[in-house]
Amino acid sequence: MPETKTPPSGPGRWPLVIGVGNEHRRDDRSGLEVVRGLPSRLHERVRIAECQGDVTDLLDLWSDEAEVIVVDAVRSGHPPGTVLRLDDAFIEIPQLGATSTHGLSLSEAVGLGRALGKFPAHLVVYGIEAEDVGMGEGLSAPVSVGIQEAIELVTTEVRSLLGPASIT
Amino acid sequence: MTERTISVDYIARVEGEGALKVRIRGTTVEDVQLKIWEPPRFFEAFLRGRSYLEAPDITARICGICPIAYQMSSCHAMEQALGMRVRGQLRALRRLIYCGEWIESHALHIYLLHAPDFLGYPDALALAKDHPDAVKHGLELKKIGNELMQLLGGREIHPINVRVGGFYRVPTVTELERIRPALETALGLAEETVRFAAGLTFPDIEEDYEFVSLRHEHEYPMNEGDVVSNRGVKIPMSQFEDVFEETHVPYSHALQSQHRGEGSYLVGPLARYALNHDRLLPRAKSIAREVGLEDVVRNPYRSIIVRGVETVHAVEESLKIIDAYKPPDEPFVEPPASFHATSGAAISEAPRGMLYHRYRLNEEGLIEEAKIVAPTSQNQKRIEDDLRHLLDRSLNLDDRELTNACEKAIRNHDPCISCATHFLKLDLVRA
Repeated sequence: MPETKTPPSGPGRWPLVIGVGNEHRRDDRSGLEVVRGLPSRLHERVRIAECQGDVTDLLDLWSDEAEVIVVDAVRSGHPPGTVLRLDDAFIEIPQLGATSTHGLSLSEAVGLGRALGKFPAHLVVYGIEAEDVGMGEGLSAPVSVGIQEAIELVTTEVRSLLGPASIT
Repeated sequence: MTERTISVDYIARVEGEGALKVRIRGTTVEDVQLKIWEPPRFFEAFLRGRSYLEAPDITARICGICPIAYQMSSCHAMEQALGMRVRGQLRALRRLIYCGEWIESHALHIYLLHAPDFLGYPDALALAKDHPDAVKHGLELKKIGNELMQLLGGREIHPINVRVGGFYRVPTVTELERIRPALETALGLAEETVRFAAGLTFPDIEEDYEFVSLRHEHEYPMNEGDVVSNRGVKIPMSQFEDVFEETHVPYSHALQSQHRGEGSYLVGPLARYALNHDRLLPRAKSIAREVGLEDVVRNPYRSIIVRGVETVHAVEESLKIIDAYKPPDEPFVEPPASFHATSGAAISEAPRGMLYHRYRLNEEGLIEEAKIVAPTSQNQKRIEDDLRHLLDRSLNLDDRELTNACEKAIRNHDPCISCATHFLKLDLVRA
């Protein structure tokens, strides 16, 4: 379990990277795998959190934050393992709630956060296209590859947020 | 004769995981099939060969919303198997962490999942745009519940501090006192929640439920008590499987519970309240009276008010436990050093109803058999009955209206789809 580090206060504080997923639903755990797989040197300068339960917890995690990166499994019709980068300007909220009896999705957390003013200044979502979200712990092969790609992309993005000299 | 089929993939975001299928011929409802995916089945196999000490942490993973319920039922079942008794402050701390879960789970359901149905919104997001304060209240209450779980459980999702015999670490008085102001705020918020819920408009419907819950000698039930019903059941937890059985239904792959020889029954807030309203703490009793809540609520839509009353009770109980807290000498009761083959069963009251665990252990303390009966599988057959009655009286509605009405009737019972994945179903639109 990665630790959440205490941020320096004020502008330019460290970005927050949140992995979302259910550990026991195979590819659904990919968001958790990405934050756990971030290079250890990056851990010095980034805050990491996991959200494995109800995603309304995201509202408290990310409100008042400057830069937040969320990594989650997605289903968008792309080939499994595809990594998508969504800037919050492009995060489209799909049809919500009416077909769900319990639990909310990341898109609902985004919508609620915006409606209630509990939203970061800037949000980027990395989505990894899932193949198998059945009960179990193993990842599908293309998603394992996608996770490695997402780790590199998130690392690059965090480094660019921190500035070129911040991490070698 | 015309045949109508209504089919809803209503659970979470995975096709085929949970579904409602209704077949109507002319004016007759021919079939109602509700399928709820049950993660406990997977975990029952997963637990075999693991140490008895691992059961609380493994089963907590079944549900991101009610992990404490799984930890409590598994700890009690193991303690029953091993002849251990957890008393005094350790027992009180267990109730305290359970209160956190009730507050968190009820607040989520009341405001984010159930309230939109009564106010004419398709979801919590639409509700939040018009009634941001109501949703903020809900989230604030929920957060206080989470904080309580975090304080005692080490973290709020899949807590790691609960163990067979008690806790790995118990809180200091100062740590508990630190959360008191938040709980005092929560008490007011919870009372407001009951007033808010009671002000909603409900369909005028009553169902003839067999209510089943725990009943304790002195307390509103959480961890202990006998299993009772409004139709004469009164048995110790250990006899649960003698009276209630799970049967296989071909369309579901899942098991459905029923009262042997009787049929469906209901667990959860309506049942607990009907059978235990006399055990509520004073503020909860008083707010129920203030809003005119009857002692037995048979209208399933009004369960939102009962959840509110139970939330007041849980906050009140938390404050009471903190008032009386003295750290125990040891954080847990030591399990026996040597084993013989044994078995144990226990039930605790999860926010959405009784959660049954039974384990068989070998002489090394390894689990040979695990059986878990979740509240939602117990309610599944009863929800089908609610749906059948709803359909009988609503056939004049068009398919879309009927589908919505069915979904609302299901939501009345807060079925847990804890197993739901959290992936984002994405429609990507780029300008």
